[in-house]
Amino acid sequence: MFENFLSIMIFVPIIAGLALLFLPVSREAARAVGLAVSVIVVLFGLKLFVSFSGAGGGFEFTEYRVVNSSLGIAYSLGVDGISILILAAAALLFPMVYLLFQTREKGYYANLLIVQGAMIGAVAATDMVLFYVFWEVMLLPIFFMIGLYGGPRRLPATIKITIYTIAGSLLMLASIIYLGISYHAQSGEWSFAMENLSKMSLAGPTATLAFAGFMIAFAIKIPLFPFHTWLPDAYTEAPAATTFVLSAVMAKIGVYGVIRFVVPVFDESFARYALILACSGVIGMMYCGIAALAQKDMKRMLAFSSASHMGIIALGIFCMNVQALTGTLYQIVAHATSTGVLFLMLGIIEERSESRSIDDFGGLASRAPVFAVFFAVAMLASVGLPGTSGFIGEFLIILGAVKFNPMIAVCAGTTLIIGVCYMLWLFQRVFYEKTNSRLEHFRDLTAVETLTLLPIVILIIVMGIYPQPFIEKIEPTAQQQIAVIASVPHVAEAAPADLNLKKGEL
Amino acid sequence: MQDTMAILPLITTGAGAILVMLVAAFEGFRKEGISILGIGLFAFAFFVQLTVENSAPVTPYAELFNGMLVTSTFTKAASLIILACGFFSAVAAQTYFTQNRGFVLEYYCMMLFAACGMILMTMAAELITVFIALEIMSLAIYTLIGCDRRSVIRSEAVLKYLMLGAFAGAFFVMGSVFIYAGAKSTKFADIAVVISATGFLANPALLGGSMLILVALLFKVAAFPFHAWVIDVYDGAPLPVTGFMATAVKTAVFALFANFLLINTELRDGWVPYLFWISVLTMFVGNLIAIGQNNLKRMLAASGIVHSGYLIIGLVAMSSESFSGGAVLFYLAAYAASTLGIFVALSYLGGEDEKRITFDDFNGLARIRPYSAACVAIFMLSMAGIPPTAGFMGKFYIIAGAFKEGFVALGVLAIISSILSMWYYLRLIVAMYFKEPEGDFTVAEMTLAPLGTFVLAAAVFVISFIPVVI
Repeated sequence: MFENFLSIMIFVPIIAGLALLFLPVSREAARAVGLAVSVIVVLFGLKLFVSFSGAGGGFEFTEYRVVNSSLGIAYSLGVDGISILILAAAALLFPMVYLLFQTREKGYYANLLIVQGAMIGAVAATDMVLFYVFWEVMLLPIFFMIGLYGGPRRLPATIKITIYTIAGSLLMLASIIYLGISYHAQSGEWSFAMENLSKMSLAGPTATLAFAGFMIAFAIKIPLFPFHTWLPDAYTEAPAATTFVLSAVMAKIGVYGVIRFVVPVFDESFARYALILACSGVIGMMYCGIAALAQKDMKRMLAFSSASHMGIIALGIFCMNVQALTGTLYQIVAHATSTGVLFLMLGIIEERSESRSIDDFGGLASRAPVFAVFFAVAMLASVGLPGTSGFIGEFLIILGAVKFNPMIAVCAGTTLIIGVCYMLWLFQRVFYEKTNSRLEHFRDLTAVETLTLLPIVILIIVMGIYPQPFIEKIEPTAQQQIAVIASVPHVAEAAPADLNLKKGEL
Repeated sequence: MQDTMAILPLITTGAGAILVMLVAAFEGFRKEGISILGIGLFAFAFFVQLTVENSAPVTPYAELFNGMLVTSTFTKAASLIILACGFFSAVAAQTYFTQNRGFVLEYYCMMLFAACGMILMTMAAELITVFIALEIMSLAIYTLIGCDRRSVIRSEAVLKYLMLGAFAGAFFVMGSVFIYAGAKSTKFADIAVVISATGFLANPALLGGSMLILVALLFKVAAFPFHAWVIDVYDGAPLPVTGFMATAVKTAVFALFANFLLINTELRDGWVPYLFWISVLTMFVGNLIAIGQNNLKRMLAASGIVHSGYLIIGLVAMSSESFSGGAVLFYLAAYAASTLGIFVALSYLGGEDEKRITFDDFNGLARIRPYSAACVAIFMLSMAGIPPTAGFMGKFYIIAGAFKEGFVALGVLAIISSILSMWYYLRLIVAMYFKEPEGDFTVAEMTLAPLGTFVLAAAVFVISFIPVVI
């Protein structure tokens, strides 16, 4: 049983979710099943995280079975330093949702289970076609969750996110097929396995187009400027748990895709266009940061804030050095925990006060002190205060960015200040100032809610103070990954001294 | 003897058709009995075809009756698809006629005759045989469309199809005559020999003849610019007949198309640049038509045009050295399963006299009939090419084939076309799941169609695991 660790983590939630959809079950029972399954996944996830060694930077917990013999498509799974932390985020954060939101419909919990399984599958897949299958499957529950349980303007938001992401993924499909055909042409065999495809040398305009196909798909998912326009609507209209899934895990799978697929396969094109991509990351940071300042709706503000922070996470990849990449991988978890908690707590606020407009709030800290403390911790982690998880990642990324291009580093660093502005301003208006009369009966966190959120809040602080155990797991792979790009002549020419310096540091 | 064995499925369907006709003359047999007999005969023919052994895998062809017919795994698989389509269309018809008028006792007889013509068409390796097959199929289909004589819309559809179909048939005959004049033979193999000896462009008779034949075939698969009839005809035909036409007829014609082009390599090379543009325009024109439709049948007709476009990509990109027809047949099977699935579902969801037929009529279906809605959603996702359905693998094979043969632009255009098609496939899912129900979706009585819908929904997943060599 324990040889198929990853398969269990993928298919137990998916099967449970489908069973819930098709069987007549009460919503209480559905929630109980969801909670039980997510706890099982957490246990497996913890075991996986602890026994994952990270040494050597290779894949562990591998599974392999040929599915389609004629095209060499295989069901092959594995975990390495790139995927381990995203996998952990996808596995560990879900029980919170079932504990915090207890009165939703059956389909809501069922879709959550399916999306969790599909996301774990996408992160664990080492075959490109398998990855693509999970990548598409994870969109469907989101589609149904926003469309069925979302806010008043849910329909346009659903259509927007679906058409956007499917357009991106179909372009990626063309690129995947192109890679498979190129591999067939070069080696005479069919394979869509990651390790085989990354060995190929690709050149010419078609390779650049294939690179663009991948990049657009991931840029839409992350989302990178200028592909972010679906995000505010989708995040705002989605129910709390869906926004949590989208921001905490799914956006990260876009980042993961760039690191896992684009960098090793298209090393040359990637190095050539890294500066443009980095600029797009920084522009997105600024644009969404400024947009966040202007929002009156808390959820919309957090949506823009999340997009802004995804900009810096993406920037970490485009800097192409070990610090920035390690920072990105670290920040993936840091951002997942902090933004995830913020969106969940916002869901609680919305449930209790039936409003999200900042003007309707004020003085919440005196009504709900525990709530305020938790919100504050998550918020400070989100803006990157030293001592919280957000600081380590963002610091490493800015450090890497300085080495890559000082101008970009300056812009990114400055934009972080905007983040502090809107977050603290939000906190001031919602939690301090005069108590709004409609908050008279606002209940503080219950014991269950407190215990649910407490581990994550502790994790945020632990990751800020003692990052070493996490960094140890991801650094070897990050170094390996950077070694791939550093060997590209284009990069080596541009900054030879710089790159040599960076190896083995940190 | 060997020859007769190979055409056993043909004999089974033909004899079955006559049997149904005779049985229908007896007083005791009425609608229910005839329906079960028709469904049973399709199932029987399917198993007969399944048991027929083929000596030749694909190429070289095993010739039958002095080269009039050929058999291979390609023709066998095509016949299997056609018979399966017939089976599920018959299931749909059985249910459909419990709540719609217009049933005639010869209905299943005509379906079997049509299937007989289609099977003959997949195996034909000679132009006159093709013409006979084409006419057996077409005449049976005309009758099926117009079997409800009192309905104006059916009569209009059958008139349009008959007129234009007759033109296409005439084009085909004219093309055959030209080719016979140029090549002194009607056998595909002999024509290929003549063409490779004298050159394709050197002989105007061959050039003109092949063009006329291509026109006829493109008309039958509703490719641009011969697609205009398909919307009205599909809309006017009874639901199960539309399903049968959209799947089985397309399978038969594409099988013939592939056979014809495969043997005549030089002829194919001459026409590939034009087929390239025809496939591109077919995809995009079909999409533009489909996006504007409010009626489900018309949308499905237009989406059938788009799928013809994808299939023509398969023909353009087939390499003669290693052609297995796998990609084209796989796509046809995937397309047939999902399209027929919708028609089988519509045959009971459509209600009396096809009263529920627009997108809005299906608002909120998921609240009232969640299982049916889930099946329809699966069919839509398969047509849109979302994994892990068969439609996804079908697109995968077609595009991989195009890339492999160097038609990168064609593959990319197919992708863009499927992005466009998301709009109308998702629209039905949005209506079913996100809108409030208006009607009550009562259906007359429990019949076979819901079961058939489930089987096809499962088939959509099962088919995707069949490996195909490209």
